[in-house]
Amino acid sequence: MDVFVWNPWFGGFMMGLFIILHFWMIGKPAGCSTGYGNICGIVCKKISYFHQGEYSEKNNPKLWLLVGIPIGGFLAAATSGTPWQLSFDMGMYNDILPQSFAAKGIWLIFGGILLGFGARLAGACTTGHALVGGAMMNPPSLLAAAIFFSSAIITTQLLFL
Amino acid sequence: MNPIKQTEKPSSNSKMDYAPEYQPESHRHPLFKSIWLTALSFSYAYRANILSLILGILFGFLLSRTGATTFDFHAKLFLFENLQLLIVIGTSMVTTSIGLVLLKRYHVNSLVTGTEVDFVKKPYQKGLIGGSVLFGIGWAMTASCPGTIAAMMGEGKISGLFVISGLLLGTMAYGVLQAFISHEARHSEKSKE
Repeated sequence: MDVFVWNPWFGGFMMGLFIILHFWMIGKPAGCSTGYGNICGIVCKKISYFHQGEYSEKNNPKLWLLVGIPIGGFLAAATSGTPWQLSFDMGMYNDILPQSFAAKGIWLIFGGILLGFGARLAGACTTGHALVGGAMMNPPSLLAAAIFFSSAIITTQLLFL
Repeated sequence: MNPIKQTEKPSSNSKMDYAPEYQPESHRHPLFKSIWLTALSFSYAYRANILSLILGILFGFLLSRTGATTFDFHAKLFLFENLQLLIVIGTSMVTTSIGLVLLKRYHVNSLVTGTEVDFVKKPYQKGLIGGSVLFGIGWAMTASCPGTIAAMMGEGKISGLFVISGLLLGTMAYGVLQAFISHEARHSEKSKE
């Protein structure tokens, strides 16, 4: 299954317009990984961290942004020419990941845990630190973006060695 | 005339208080008008969430169209074979910074809050460096980040299901750790006293 992809210059321009639109409409910077904490707070009532500070109100725009993203992904896949279908094709990763279904699942869950824990520890994900924080020239965000880019480069180089 | 009737019998506790003829004018609309008014007030009260949902749909669409949901683009970016995503991020950063300068100069009000746009910046926090290293490893392992993974699920990529469950577990682990640390801090303060 292939999705239709725009020219990167045009795509980046549209992405920038989207971030400005988000700033204008909601009045706050866009963010993705914070919304996962809202889901954790809704599921788990006893962990105090998910019920204070930025999580004291859980039915907030960040959660609904996260709800909208899969719908947008579905629309994009459905309108890109090929019919929508489930697939477990990971492109170049097919060769380097463990071959059995269960081992692949464990690998991906472990990677997901690193993503979730790292994003909370760093304060934001690619959207918050690179797309929004980088555009605001916020020094901590630029530092975080530089570190996670270089760490990802090192890991990928090792994986595809 | 109804409000007057209501004020005539303020102290009576009888059921007649709630009878239809004592209801104020605004409570007695035809069915469709009252449905319309309810929908209107609902969408006004939750306008931030509704706008956010629409923006989320747009964001998912854009992530998919810019190639951020394609595994090969992530791998090729980190192997320096195809810089599609780097160009996307760079162009987006330049566009956004120009837009933010304009928003600041003309003191544009936000649509939802009605006040000036809040350019709150993420502060430096303890663990930013370690967290970024872990995040980068996770990014390389799964070829996705928290935003794109949700769009991948919408596209029908099964790997997204695994990654998103891992992501929720990781977020949960951080919450548990923070709750534990604050509990420990409170405990040690008490023991000092």
